[in-house]
Amino acid sequence: MAGGLATDGRMEPAIDALGPAQIITLFRIISERMMAARDELGMLDGVIGDADHGSSMAAGFSAVLRAVSQADGPPGEIFTSAAHEFLGAVGATTGPLYASALLRAAKLCGDSPQITVADFPLLIPAFAEGITERGKARPGDKTMMDAWAPAARAVLSARERGEDPLSQMRAALEAAREGAASTRAMVASRGRAARLGERSLGHTDPGAVSAVILIEAMHDLLARGLA
Amino acid sequence: MAPRVAGKPAIRAESGVMPLRYGDDPLLWAAWLYYEEGMTQSDIAQEMGLSRASVNAYLQDARTRGIVSIEIEQDRFRSLSIARALKDHFGLQDCLVIPSDGGERSLIERLGAAGAQVLTRFARPGDTIAVTWGRTMLALAEALDHPGLADVRIVQATGGTTGKIPWTPEACASRMAEALGARCVPLSAPAIVSSAAVREVLLAESVLTEQLGVLAEADRIILGISSLRPESTIHTSGFLDGQTQHTWYQDAVGCLIGRFISSRGAPVIGPLNERTIGLDLEALKKIPQRIAVAGGIDKVAAILAALRGGYVNVLVTDTSTGRGILTAEGYSDTSLRPPGDRQAVPLRPIGARTRIKKLINAPQDAVDESLKGALAAHERLIESLEGSPRVVVARGRREVAKVGIVIGGGSGHDPGFWGYVGQGLADAAVVGNIFAAPPPGPIMEATKAVSAGAGVLYLYGNFSGDVMNFDMAAEMAESAGIEVRSVVTTDDIASSPAESRAARRGVAGNVFIFKIAGAAAARLLPLAEVEALTRRANARTYTMGLALEPSSLPETRRPSFELGPDDMEIGVGVHGEPGILRQPLASADQSADLLLDRILAEMRPEPGDRVAVLVNSLGSTPAMELYIILRRIRQRLKAHQIEVHLSLVGPYYTSLDMAGVSLTLMHLDKDLTALLDHPCAAPALVVT
Repeated sequence: MAGGLATDGRMEPAIDALGPAQIITLFRIISERMMAARDELGMLDGVIGDADHGSSMAAGFSAVLRAVSQADGPPGEIFTSAAHEFLGAVGATTGPLYASALLRAAKLCGDSPQITVADFPLLIPAFAEGITERGKARPGDKTMMDAWAPAARAVLSARERGEDPLSQMRAALEAAREGAASTRAMVASRGRAARLGERSLGHTDPGAVSAVILIEAMHDLLARGLA
Repeated sequence: MAPRVAGKPAIRAESGVMPLRYGDDPLLWAAWLYYEEGMTQSDIAQEMGLSRASVNAYLQDARTRGIVSIEIEQDRFRSLSIARALKDHFGLQDCLVIPSDGGERSLIERLGAAGAQVLTRFARPGDTIAVTWGRTMLALAEALDHPGLADVRIVQATGGTTGKIPWTPEACASRMAEALGARCVPLSAPAIVSSAAVREVLLAESVLTEQLGVLAEADRIILGISSLRPESTIHTSGFLDGQTQHTWYQDAVGCLIGRFISSRGAPVIGPLNERTIGLDLEALKKIPQRIAVAGGIDKVAAILAALRGGYVNVLVTDTSTGRGILTAEGYSDTSLRPPGDRQAVPLRPIGARTRIKKLINAPQDAVDESLKGALAAHERLIESLEGSPRVVVARGRREVAKVGIVIGGGSGHDPGFWGYVGQGLADAAVVGNIFAAPPPGPIMEATKAVSAGAGVLYLYGNFSGDVMNFDMAAEMAESAGIEVRSVVTTDDIASSPAESRAARRGVAGNVFIFKIAGAAAARLLPLAEVEALTRRANARTYTMGLALEPSSLPETRRPSFELGPDDMEIGVGVHGEPGILRQPLASADQSADLLLDRILAEMRPEPGDRVAVLVNSLGSTPAMELYIILRRIRQRLKAHQIEVHLSLVGPYYTSLDMAGVSLTLMHLDKDLTALLDHPCAAPALVVT
């Protein structure tokens, strides 16, 4: 992939589509970052949950990476097998939620051998829909949805404004970060943290933080590809 | 000089000569005379032979040096320090924080009364005061009684809403006007009209123009803040339906004057904006004094957003909400505690262990290696399913059309879940990673293995992960033609209030509920009946736990939460989730009473009723302590004339190495007693 630092000015796309190799790279980035963030996520989770979020995310995505690292099928196929691997490795709440998200991503890609740069940001709304459908969490419940939902809306409205794909991803990342930060002011009403009531205030939801890591990885992949 | 009471000096010393009892500390002398004898500073000056200014300086000094310490009652101190922090942090004109708990009157009533007090303080003759609507505003109006200010006008900040609620804008404004002896200026239009065009037409009406003119002259506004949670004022007022919120207002976390704001306080503009009649956010900011009265934990995000947006410059709230707002902004709780409370914060001594010792190999192998050991230890009773190492099935299952019972959940609860697989109990158990639900794949494998044509019952604790994965497996089973019913256990009474029993978690009570389900299936009852009996068992089973020390995961080897050296955590979750309340460590009897009282209050047994009791170790608490607890429970039950049919004591359903205990009572009836007595042979439970 082309190296070099992205500048702030308009970037001329170096590529116009992402194929299997790039999707595998995406999972490699995610897996590495989840490993690196494992302890931090565990600590966040320990305050309001059972401290397993970091290891679940890390174990889940390293299982995904192991399974797809040699894949050469189209992106849709890679996302589908990622969904099954993640679910099988993780279970818990995170397993079904991200499995549904990855299956939606697969649906978005269809049988096409590549996903175009123009369509790439739509992965974010696809993830968000998959998670909403399975998890039924509402905005303000202090869950990963509080990062995914604003990110998805940011992509859609940036598209409406006619912004380029990387700007759409940047908008998504900003919205996700802000959404994750806003969970500090929320009282958990779903999942294990719900029993804490007001004691969950002031703590950032670990699921929202790991959502930011995923969105950031997608953003960075595109930024690298376009650099 | 008049004679003094005993203990006080009978004869005054000569002026300026210090009595011996003060040593040679003039500060102590001055402080004693001032605080204990209640003398004035000039009398003290005379007595000590000093100037009044020196006495004043001595008294100040006595406080700085700690000779005198002034104690403020903890609750009040908390309110004051939170109010001050809110005022400083958000640059408010003023802030009033009332205690969150206040006896009989509801929080809304008390906030209303506090708001009324604040308004009384600020209102001046000739004022124009704008008013919004909602429960808190109406409570404020009802608590207000301050007639006699001349020429005050109360003006509605928005048009009217549905009349289905008592706290409409009209009602709030007119009640408030009455209480102040003020003139009431309504806005003669609905707050939300059907289209922007209608709004234009109405705004051209001279009556409304004139009323809006009064609103534009407001010196103050008193406003409520609504969250966007489903039960909030903004929904009950008919402002927002679910669809509109879903389409347009997902970024909104709060609503004031009928306008929506994001978590940063930015306006969220949607279709209602063009259709709303009343003050807008820009105009709101131009009103010199903006008093918000709002409280309740669900409103933290909304109030914080209003503060961040600068829409409010006087805030009236309660301590929990205020603390919530501050912690959400990154304030640490300790800075808000009274000084005497500070040492209660656990300080880790330098060099203290932070890594818990464990006998494991690679952490990621712990679950599978442990399960292999359990299978070996109980090889005559259980085995794992070929190709699915985390599915445990009973050996020697008979070929009869019996309902299959599949239990399961995360690992780390040993002997849960494999210990409850065997003849007369569950047919299969499926476990996941530590404290994480198993995925649907292996649940489906277990389902196929135990399905004998009479259907399968899934039985597991109510955790969102377990529900999702078992539901996915149930969908797979249905399409494979296997009839599946699910019973989700909800025995943990600390995890949610009695009104929302369905939201409660399933914990150690599982042991009894598994037993009932297993016995019902062993009697070859049909699926519907097995399900009904299992549900009955769940409804009559009550558990509550407390922790002395947190558990630690093999992966992190760190305590999963912090517990002070002298604290215990009440209502702790079975995954090391923190509980609902932390209190100083109590004795075994006090702890047993605390758990039992909560359980009996819900169970409401009659004298002569029968129960089964489980005193369960959460992992590290030894049998010795469990039996002390059981002894107390039995004494208490005897005093209540409740018969104990069965007592189980031991580590039946653990949370790794958590220290602590849970108490479970199952309220027996004839059927449940018979099923409890039905023979079973499983690794962790044998009934002969």
